[in-house]
Amino acid sequence: MKYLKVTTFLIAAALASPVAAQEAGGRLDIVVQPEPPGLMLGLVQNGPTQLVAGDIYESLLRYDSDLNPMPSLAKSWEISDDGLTYTFKLNEGVKWHDGEAFTADDVVFSADVFLRETHARLRASLAYVKSITAPDPMTVVFKLKEPFGPFINAFENGTMPIVPKHIYEGTDFANNPANATPIGTGPFKFKEWVKGSHIHLVKNEDYYVDGLPYLDEVFYRVIPDAAARAVAFETGEVDVLPGGSVENWDIPRLAEMDGVCVTEKGWEFLAPLAWMWLNNREGPTANEKFRQAVMYAMDREFMRDVVWNGFGKVATGPIASSTNFYSDDVTIYDHNPDKAKELLAEMGYDGEPVRILPLPYGETWQRWAEAVRQNLSEVGINAEIDSSDVAGWNEKTSQWDYDMAFTYLYQYGDPALGVSRNYTADRIKKGSPWNNVEGYENLSLDEKWAAAATMVTPEEREAAYAEIQKEIVDDVPVAWMQELTFPTIYRCNVNDLVTTAIGINDGPRNAWIKK
Amino acid sequence: MTIFAVVVSRLSKAILTLLAIAILNFFLIHAAPGDPAVVLAGEAGAADEQMIEQLRERFGLDQPLYVQLGKYVAGIVQLDLGYSFRQGAPVAELIADRLPATLLLTLTAFVVSLVLGIAFGVAAAARVGKPSDTVLTTMALLFYATPLYWLALMAVLVFSVWFGWLPGFGYETVGANYTGLERVLDIGSHLILPALTLGLFFTAVYMRMARASMLEVSQLDFVKTAKAKGLSDAVIRRRHILRNAILPVVTLAGLQAGQLVGGAVLTETVFAWPGIGRLMFESLAARDYNTILGVFLVSAAMVILFNIVTDIVYRIVDPRIGARS
Amino acid sequence: MWKRFRSNMGAMIGVVLLISVIVIALIAPLIFSDGPWQMVQRPFLAPFAVDGLPLGTDTLGRNVAAQLAYGARVSLLVGLVSTVVALLIGVPLGALAGFYGGYVDEGAMRFTEFFQTIPNFALAIVLVAIFEPTLTSITIAIAIVSWPPVARLVRAEVMSVRTREFVDAARLAGLSKPRILIQQVLPNTVSPIIVMASLMVATAILLESSLSFLGLGDPNSMSWGYMIGAARTVIRTSWWLSFFPGIAIVITVLALNLIGEGLNDAFNPHLSRKGKA
Repeated sequence: MKYLKVTTFLIAAALASPVAAQEAGGRLDIVVQPEPPGLMLGLVQNGPTQLVAGDIYESLLRYDSDLNPMPSLAKSWEISDDGLTYTFKLNEGVKWHDGEAFTADDVVFSADVFLRETHARLRASLAYVKSITAPDPMTVVFKLKEPFGPFINAFENGTMPIVPKHIYEGTDFANNPANATPIGTGPFKFKEWVKGSHIHLVKNEDYYVDGLPYLDEVFYRVIPDAAARAVAFETGEVDVLPGGSVENWDIPRLAEMDGVCVTEKGWEFLAPLAWMWLNNREGPTANEKFRQAVMYAMDREFMRDVVWNGFGKVATGPIASSTNFYSDDVTIYDHNPDKAKELLAEMGYDGEPVRILPLPYGETWQRWAEAVRQNLSEVGINAEIDSSDVAGWNEKTSQWDYDMAFTYLYQYGDPALGVSRNYTADRIKKGSPWNNVEGYENLSLDEKWAAAATMVTPEEREAAYAEIQKEIVDDVPVAWMQELTFPTIYRCNVNDLVTTAIGINDGPRNAWIKK
Repeated sequence: MTIFAVVVSRLSKAILTLLAIAILNFFLIHAAPGDPAVVLAGEAGAADEQMIEQLRERFGLDQPLYVQLGKYVAGIVQLDLGYSFRQGAPVAELIADRLPATLLLTLTAFVVSLVLGIAFGVAAAARVGKPSDTVLTTMALLFYATPLYWLALMAVLVFSVWFGWLPGFGYETVGANYTGLERVLDIGSHLILPALTLGLFFTAVYMRMARASMLEVSQLDFVKTAKAKGLSDAVIRRRHILRNAILPVVTLAGLQAGQLVGGAVLTETVFAWPGIGRLMFESLAARDYNTILGVFLVSAAMVILFNIVTDIVYRIVDPRIGARS
Repeated sequence: MWKRFRSNMGAMIGVVLLISVIVIALIAPLIFSDGPWQMVQRPFLAPFAVDGLPLGTDTLGRNVAAQLAYGARVSLLVGLVSTVVALLIGVPLGALAGFYGGYVDEGAMRFTEFFQTIPNFALAIVLVAIFEPTLTSITIAIAIVSWPPVARLVRAEVMSVRTREFVDAARLAGLSKPRILIQQVLPNTVSPIIVMASLMVATAILLESSLSFLGLGDPNSMSWGYMIGAARTVIRTSWWLSFFPGIAIVITVLALNLIGEGLNDAFNPHLSRKGKA
């Protein structure tokens, strides 16, 4: 495989908007919820941190909404024909926020040393890497042990943020004082963090792309109450409500306001997919017929329409429709209570109660659990909702103390990066809520997952994953619910806010305000 | 006992109590399922065992419970409230950051409710039996019965959303960078709704207390004597009754004052007020043990302190109490 | 005493209101046989928009009137049971402390003081977080934060009663201390305890609703606090979803307070509130 070399000329052409001339200046107020526990993206990778730190740190590449790679810190790249060598040429004149020069050594340090120690998700991808070297200060070379198609998707901001070697080398990463004032190469510099109130970023005057960023400053406002967030937007105190800031019921009302725009884009990379873990080990859920009955009992279209206000798409299987190699050639579980009752009778369900554990992330998830409970009771399944807070939820799922537990996970663009980890037997380990929590063991399928990850051509991979999806949907190891959409609400005079596959996470880089 | 002796004895008891509270709270919090490592790892969306181990080690959670307790108590004795791994800052700093906001809110609510409560109570007592008394008393009962958070929601709905007169949340307008008088006014406008909402309940409490107290005192002999002497009702009220009737109200207020730090969780949450109550609530959700314990400790210390102060004031004002004990 | 109570208009209004709430709670399963969780119609219907739904529907299209009725059951149940448990803890503790004095008193008072130094609500939240929210854990949590004032009150009452003559007489007659406490002293402290109990039920209802509002309620029980919390995010468009449960709480708590006041007046006529200033 050979990828095209992209030159700076094309970058400039792509940036030039055909509609109107970008205007420099202005300030953007974006809501962040909940308050991030830290801003050092190498150490903390949860949602809010990625939202804010996505402006401070960068990786080698960015991705457009079709998941095609675009230049970032790397101005061009090349993949060898055998798929084993990835060569990146870095941009020149890039400076860290503290003035030091950025070089290939920083990349090697970040990927090989820093992130290997701190970034669980990247560790999984790094397992395929044989070596990372910097033949010259402007070039980085990754050599793989075997071809790994998804590897090109690993150079995203939150997956491989590049951190300054001169600050972190040889130090205790977690306790380095620089963590309080994060230093990156990104379009915005950290200015101030008033805990409980806001995080203030200012324009990086020395950013290596001429003209960017347009904005002078960005404020990330902390407002813990959903209703208050909506009010803040209405009164003009904030300009952008990233996905998930307000409950879906509020979105139509806010969208109707003058000068307000809504977009569902910006989630193509993360592609959140929600499902319920079904305990394959014990209880009624250990029986395949029961699990299928659950799928038929639920009216997922209704839930999408009422609980999520029409946003999102009912899921058909483990892979989301925006992720590579999605296939809908599978058994479709429509709302069929009669079939559910049939299956329950077949397996001899004795009325044993099952517990539903909702995600403690807000009202929408509560309503969702309630709707599921209602649907299940309609076919005779005795369901009860178990309540807990975030810590309790984490504890229960990671210790396998549940029957049905809601969750949602990101796909990261490729089934090998964000999907297989939930279905292979080698990922069954107590203590984590993110691996094969349901306890599904299908060794023949495991082989297929492994093979599909390292096939060389996309066509091969597509066929392989189609086969996997067909088989796994019949086994129903988990109850796939819905591909989530988290619409971003913003003022229409803010242009080019969502242009990449991670949307608002690095949106302020290209955004400009039309006055 | 002299006042000084009382203070010393109470303070020394207080220190022991605080220590006991710290230890008990420690066990209480650790009884909750999950720990900060699990929460942080979970939020990262892709934790593996290595990550959770690392976090546990960093937070000192891999050591046996009694060791952790020992470290904690040792820290407390040296007035070190520990470190919040979740927020990456010393707990004392976090609390100091948020304490002023809470105090501003609760003190304002406290003063407003005390003043309004006494005023309404006295007015009602003066008009006892008449329709205005019934109106005031009913009002008090209504405030007493209204759930705080519901009132807050309605207040935001009416005054912020429908009328747009007052801001519905927050401490001040961010990024506006007001200084001086402008800033005071800005914070003030943000303070009105939360303080009033929080204070309404206590206004009712103090009002009922004041009214009852006024009526009770007015039955006493010395009042009858004053009336017999020919003094006017108003003068009697002011000079004799009021002073004596206020005492129980103030005592009650003194005892409530201890709740100043921890009592505003609901209000702070609904109004997004950056205070201690919210800090505690959020830290609980994140299982940030050190922060929760720190907040509880500071809170308990304030309650104990206020109890001692109230006790002293009461003894000074009413010497009969000291004689009785 | 009852005559005095009956003539107190406020108290009678309270009784009427409370009985109405109790009746609604009891007949809820009869009028709303579908239960409060059944999704019956389109969501966010305004009151009276559709026949048979006088209070409209909530975010999932459930009958608000049914929810109010079932919510009454939970509020009353939790209020009552938690108060009883609090009394079971506080009365014996306070009685022993007040009667025996000395070290027993010291110890009991330290114990009580400990509970009073942690802000009520914060402690309740922590307890519920530990035990996971269920009706049982909430009831116990509320009882745990509510018993200190009971103990204090009982202690004070017992202390004042035990100095009375008939107690001396009983002691001279040779009755053992425990018997004196149970048979002679306690019965005379009953009236303030009853007054306090009625107020405690009111506070317990408010506390339970606050916990449910914050999302710490039992997810399998419909409660008024839960309704307000659930409706918080849609308050702009469907304000009635928050309004009605709030009114329900106000009415119930008000009724209990009126009754408590009435009882207080009835038990203590010499402290006439109706005297002239």
